[in-house]
Amino acid sequence: MGERKVTVAAEVGLHARPAATFVQRAKLAPMDISVQKPHGGGPVNGKSILAIMALDVRQGETVVISAEGEGSEEVLDELAKIASTP
Amino acid sequence: MTTVLAPVEGAAVGLDAVPDPVFSAGMVGPGTAIDPLRGPGKAVAPIAGKIMKLHPHAYVIVGDDGKGVLVHLGIDTVQLKGEGFQLLAAEGDRVSAGQPVVAWDPAVIEAGGRSPVCPVVALDALPAEVTGVTEGTVHVGDELFRWE
Repeated sequence: MGERKVTVAAEVGLHARPAATFVQRAKLAPMDISVQKPHGGGPVNGKSILAIMALDVRQGETVVISAEGEGSEEVLDELAKIASTP
Repeated sequence: MTTVLAPVEGAAVGLDAVPDPVFSAGMVGPGTAIDPLRGPGKAVAPIAGKIMKLHPHAYVIVGDDGKGVLVHLGIDTVQLKGEGFQLLAAEGDRVSAGQPVVAWDPAVIEAGGRSPVCPVVALDALPAEVTGVTEGTVHVGDELFRWE
């Protein structure tokens, strides 16, 4: 299982545009994507905008994105980049 | 099947008309948008359920079947940091369809240089699951679309 621990940089947190961008990329991945907060919250389905919104990740909070399978490292890199984009 | 009601009065114009690609490209989900009547009004819950997320400028109601509907009051209104919006309910509250959630005035939003158009989105829905989308004049509580 691959993981990326990233700090969410967007002012609005992982909501609205960042959340939509994240989920849109996650949906393209063939494998399951999960997102959780290290100190409680989740894991939730990274392909669900509702689940990501419910996770309620604020600016400056850390999330762990997980995936496994062929191509998962590349997917995780891209998702980590989206989540850490201001 | 969930019937999604118009949260505000105005003209249903479709997501294509929203000046934000996150909505117009359907990235958040399918649905429509309402160009609201200018003047003080109350935005209501489009479905019955629990207020999962409540910002002054946007809210998500999740029904008992797990379906979540997002109402976004204007575009880029997160920048207003709540100014011009009055919460009439609280996050976690159970609401009936048509129950007021936020009081606002689209005219004030527009005067501030922002679009007051309101996307109403079926979160995580496939485009084909949204049917019967109303076009044109809608009153608060009118049927806006169906989520199969």
